[in-house]
Amino acid sequence: MSQISISVEKLSYWYGDLKAVNQISFEVAQGEILGFLGPNGAGKTTTQKMLTGQLRPKDGRATLLGFDVAKDTEEIHRRIGICFEQTNLYEQMTALENLQLFADLFGVNNFNGYALLKRVGLAGREKDKVAGYSKGMKQRLMVARSLVNTPSILFMDEPTSGLDPVSSESIRDIILEERKRGATIFLTTHDMWEADKLCDRVAFINEGSIAALDAPVNLKQQYGKRSLIAKVKSANGQLENREIALDTGKTAEEVSKLLSSERVLTLHSEEATLEDIFIKITGRRLTE
Amino acid sequence: MNFSVIKALLKKDFSLFLQNRFYMLMTIVGLVFYIIIFFIMPNKVDEQLKAGIYAPVMPPAFSILVADPASSLTSYASLEEAKAAVENGDSQVAIVLPADIMQTWASGGKPEVEIYYASSAPIELRDAVISLVKELSYIQTGQSLTFDTNEQVMGQDMLGEQIPMRNRMVPLLAIFILMMEILSLASLIAEENEQGTARALLVTPMTVPELFAAKGIIGVGMALGQVVLFMLLVGGFNSQPLITLGVLLLGSLMVTGLGFLLASLTKSLMSVTAWGMLLFIILAIPGMGIMFPGLISNWAKVIPSYYLTDTVNRVVNYGADLSVVGGNLLILVGFTAVIVTAGIVVLRRRYQ
Repeated sequence: MSQISISVEKLSYWYGDLKAVNQISFEVAQGEILGFLGPNGAGKTTTQKMLTGQLRPKDGRATLLGFDVAKDTEEIHRRIGICFEQTNLYEQMTALENLQLFADLFGVNNFNGYALLKRVGLAGREKDKVAGYSKGMKQRLMVARSLVNTPSILFMDEPTSGLDPVSSESIRDIILEERKRGATIFLTTHDMWEADKLCDRVAFINEGSIAALDAPVNLKQQYGKRSLIAKVKSANGQLENREIALDTGKTAEEVSKLLSSERVLTLHSEEATLEDIFIKITGRRLTE
Repeated sequence: MNFSVIKALLKKDFSLFLQNRFYMLMTIVGLVFYIIIFFIMPNKVDEQLKAGIYAPVMPPAFSILVADPASSLTSYASLEEAKAAVENGDSQVAIVLPADIMQTWASGGKPEVEIYYASSAPIELRDAVISLVKELSYIQTGQSLTFDTNEQVMGQDMLGEQIPMRNRMVPLLAIFILMMEILSLASLIAEENEQGTARALLVTPMTVPELFAAKGIIGVGMALGQVVLFMLLVGGFNSQPLITLGVLLLGSLMVTGLGFLLASLTKSLMSVTAWGMLLFIILAIPGMGIMFPGLISNWAKVIPSYYLTDTVNRVVNYGADLSVVGGNLLILVGFTAVIVTAGIVVLRRRYQ
């Protein structure tokens, strides 16, 4: 693993008797995208709040770029960008004014708001008040704001939630561009397809604990079912599915037999989705 | 403290204030309204004597005057009615004759005449009333100095300190202007909490003290700017300008602290408005006391704004110097320090 950006050791937080986060430990390398997945109330937001200095951990330790989250919040805030789940922009100000304010707070010299807005697809609307923006435009502006200080670590909380496919895709492109630049990305999402597509690794968090942490492909291998599904038209004209297990050593033989003996309409591999794996590991659905 | 951060926050807050149509309108309309009220109020003291009398047995000399339609002496049916007339402002003075006045005079004694003055009655009235009673007694008895007097002022004694209504309104209007800023500042902060923008600010290198410094500057600046403009227009700096400026600065700091407190105790703009109005009414009470002397008593001294309005009143309307208002100012400094500290502590806890 390359240089560590985020290091978490037995981090805990509780609200009264409720353990929101229970001794979680993990590391995220520089330039890695870590997906943090879990249903509502699993502890995702509390973890993110502790990592970004919004909550002081009750127990355990976490460092970002070597800075302690409990002590060095100002240093950490200089180096991170956060894209919140809820839109929290100054609606009566223009997009440019919103970005300029944060650039000033971060002490960014020669800040070019126009270029950043162009990058998120808001060129031409720079001087419009945010109140007049659509949800997708506001979300893109939120992403732009999180990039004002060219952060080393980017926290993104449900960045594409409720957006149209075009807006979602443009945000995913920006996330990938940021990784290419060398930024570490901590992505909290419900969208398993998105996590699968973007993340180098995903962590399943359930009831305050990390239930699994690995690359999506490894999780699929470990927990998923590898098989081929053939849709065939039987002699009596009915559509039926035939399943052929992969990795058994007889796969090729069985496929050949199927193709010669039946009228195959479609043939495709079937992998477990991250959602399936999440249910298998935790017994819960992500959307609970 | 990073001053460029404070400057950025100030720029943002000022821009938001200017773009908040409701508070912008309230500020301008309020200021214009208060100035208009000041100038349409009478600038002269009403010197016409309105007197009343209560006598269980009315001596004939007094009856003649009461019956004279040209006199402004009104007869009341009871002592309570006479006193109420003074308190309500229907009469500036009430003369109460004892029931045995005729017998006392007949036996060569001196009856005791009670005289009740309104707190707003001019000092000249005392001599006029005594002369009137003396004259009528002389007509009745044919002798001079035939009575003793027991004089009482209803409410706060301001005998001889009459000032025009418009001047009496200055402290009240000044506190109204300052109090508007409690609502504006609290709304500004509550709006940031409600819309989550405060959360976005708090994950930048900006520190909480910088945030408070910016909010404090905007709160004090807006409050002081408006109240100073008002005082300049109504001639509020004509006597003791430095003390006046000082007390207005303390008032601006106090309302800023109250704005912090209000913002920290409320969760939405609606609750800011609701609680703000309650605060508004409480803080206006001492100003009402100056407008209508006798309306309130010593309990009003527990309201922090009492020391603000009372000091403004004494300095602006009576030209009081530090030897007179020094105590008030010290108490005001104490109240302001406590309120500002409490506001910062409570709001800081909310942010953390």
